[in-house]
Amino acid sequence: MATSLSYREKSLYASLAAELIVYGPYFFLHRQNSVNKVAGMIFAIIVLQIILQSVIAAVTRNRITDERDRLIELRGYRAGYLTIVSLMVLGLGMLWFHLAIGRFQLDSRRVGLHFLSVFFGMLVVADITKTATQIVAYRRAL
Amino acid sequence: MPAIRNQIRELRALREMTQQELADRVGVTRQTVIAIEQDKYSPSLETAFKVAIVLGVPLDQCFQYDPRGKR
Repeated sequence: MATSLSYREKSLYASLAAELIVYGPYFFLHRQNSVNKVAGMIFAIIVLQIILQSVIAAVTRNRITDERDRLIELRGYRAGYLTIVSLMVLGLGMLWFHLAIGRFQLDSRRVGLHFLSVFFGMLVVADITKTATQIVAYRRAL
Repeated sequence: MPAIRNQIRELRALREMTQQELADRVGVTRQTVIAIEQDKYSPSLETAFKVAIVLGVPLDQCFQYDPRGKR
């Protein structure tokens, strides 16, 4: 039986595409951390999401959401929360480890930018996990 | 075997009602009706009652609970 995509599902695919388009090049191609690049990335994801979500809303006639959509949304947020908590614990453990063995000084600007990138990366991974979990739940019918 | 099974597809076919029509009258998406018919999603009690009312049958004619089934 053919199951076309619901409004929420299309919206999730658009979100995942936007996240991969914006975050992918930043984390895999960039050579140097900078506050401007992170700010540019946040601006880019906001603009791209607005454009994509507007297009999907315009081309989708039936935009209702129901209890199953809300349940899947909660599953996604749970997966995202567990991901970010796990990454935070791992990151703080690594920070403690590096400080304990005296690998770097925390007053350095470069280390600050490094952590900005690392913690932003954790947020991005958690967000992508949330979106991907929701897409998988839709594909498996729940 | 799922814990909650249903006869929605058969009851809907008897009334010559499409999935979209049932979804619109119950207030859910067509994808949710498909998931319920395939026993992949167990609806809330409120939605189950709405489905039974729209199909014009008692709730237990629409949905059955099997305690040996898995959730």
